[in-house]
Amino acid sequence: MNPEPFLQLDRVIHEKGRLAIMSMLAASPDLSFTELRDALGMTDGNLTTHIRTLQAAGYLSVTKSFQNRRPLTTCSLTPPGQQAFSNYINLLERIVRQSKPK
Amino acid sequence: MESNWAAEHLQVIRTLMERAALYRRALAPVMTANGLLGTLAALVGVLARIEAPRPFISYWMAVGLVAVAGSFLLARRQALKEAEPFWSPPTRRVAQALLPPLFFGFVLGLILLVRPGALAGSAGTVVCLLWLPLVWIALYGCALHAAGFFMPRGMKLFGWALVLGSSALGAAGLSDWVKPLLFGQGIMGLFFGLAHLAYGIYLYFTEQRRNET
Repeated sequence: MNPEPFLQLDRVIHEKGRLAIMSMLAASPDLSFTELRDALGMTDGNLTTHIRTLQAAGYLSVTKSFQNRRPLTTCSLTPPGQQAFSNYINLLERIVRQSKPK
Repeated sequence: MESNWAAEHLQVIRTLMERAALYRRALAPVMTANGLLGTLAALVGVLARIEAPRPFISYWMAVGLVAVAGSFLLARRQALKEAEPFWSPPTRRVAQALLPPLFFGFVLGLILLVRPGALAGSAGTVVCLLWLPLVWIALYGCALHAAGFFMPRGMKLFGWALVLGSSALGAAGLSDWVKPLLFGQGIMGLFFGLAHLAYGIYLYFTEQRRNET
């Protein structure tokens, strides 16, 4: 088997928690911190750490606002984040295709 | 081995993407409330003998507006209870899918209301008490079917049931032995009342089971 696609996998996205965050944001223009936390069953601290890592990589943008006088943190994928996620999916599909019996 | 891992990852990604895209608020309270409202409205309509075209249309348009406002408030209450934004992306998608057929149904009712002569004579009664309710039900079924693409699977089937039911009744036509009052109010009560009530009760048990798992 050609190991090349596996080696190309983006390490930032490849981590389980961050992959889950990227997957949910890829299907929705934006999601609140609470929506992400509840949907993924993460702790506040864990989610914050992953969001910071993705933000540092330039894959995710965070907007802070107020709704009904309560702070609302909203996350969305940046164009480089969308591209990185798309590349990651393509590589996974290549891995699956490569190992299928011909 | 590696491909299994990759395939599992893809499956997890797909599940998470579906979860983010689907409208997840409990639908049972909305369906049950609308079912009760529709059933009561039909009973009141029969007892108050609302059978003249103009009052019939005005009455059911008012009931429809109350149902939309009630659904909005119930969904908003759920969002506030869970400290989530009400106008979330799935809610927006559902609203956008529902809007065109519901808007057309509303405009159709308004046109019949404001155009003098459109409801005159026995033809007006047939249009108002047979065809308009059937068209409303079919449009509402189309709206639910469109919204069903962003909701659990059952909503699309419910939409289809309304479309097929109204088509079947339209094909059967208005028999001589059926009084227009009972037919008009009866089908509104059956589709907007009892059908919603039954679906609401079904959802109440299935949503509860899904939350437990």
